[in-house]
Amino acid sequence: MIDLRVERLDEKHIRVSGLTAMLAVMLREMPEILELRDGPDASARLFPNPTTADDKINKEWQQMVSPELRHLFVAAAETVTRDLTALTGNQGAPGAYEVTFPVEHLSAWMSALNQTRLILAEVHKIDEEDMQRQDFDPQNPKHLAALRIHLLGYLLHLFVELENGHEPADSV
Amino acid sequence: MTPSNATGQPGVIHLDETATRAELSTPWNVIVHNDPINLMNYVTMVLMRVFGYPRAKAKKMMLEVHTQGRSLVWSGGREQAEHYVHQLHGYQLLATMEKSET
Repeated sequence: MIDLRVERLDEKHIRVSGLTAMLAVMLREMPEILELRDGPDASARLFPNPTTADDKINKEWQQMVSPELRHLFVAAAETVTRDLTALTGNQGAPGAYEVTFPVEHLSAWMSALNQTRLILAEVHKIDEEDMQRQDFDPQNPKHLAALRIHLLGYLLHLFVELENGHEPADSV
Repeated sequence: MTPSNATGQPGVIHLDETATRAELSTPWNVIVHNDPINLMNYVTMVLMRVFGYPRAKAKKMMLEVHTQGRSLVWSGGREQAEHYVHQLHGYQLLATMEKSET
């Protein structure tokens, strides 16, 4: 049994440990998937219009704002790609992998994980029903994409929880 | 904003003041739309970060997105609405802005 764990190693570093071989492969494949961001389907999702009906505003947005967003997304992907070169096998847990990265890269990791999930969803036309599926056919590329979205989503969920753990209590 | 007439003086134009004031005073709504991929706790975190909402308010809006398909998360001036939509897109949320009908 391998337990996926995300923790602050010290004030400056975050460690992800207990990564299965499958999840480690998925992380290593992220840079390749992120390169698909400019394809027609993924592009429409990652760089959406700001209005549903105003063509003038939408056109200006795509000219002025979307390139800036693209720059932001590419920078996050590059940061994570560099961090992933440190992904190695756990010393004390055979079959498990771990990676440590600077605390200030956490936002880049969340962005890159979410970009990857959204791109996979667009490329494989994943909808709500696909995301609710309990049975996965390993021969079906769409099922595998949904499974990958879920697994990367679990890691993203752990990052959000880590972030939440360091926020002040609610005040309503 | 289109000038309604020219004065004949270089660099000086008259604007239809009534229309301009109405345009500026009409509030814009920022809407977050549901999508099957973004995680619920991720959407809550983004609403807290972008708008500074307390967790309970952000969570309520996130649940509205999840159950109703959309949630009006902010209303105000157009420039600020654009800024918020830009930020929400930066977090990969599906967000749009629209003129308020009220």
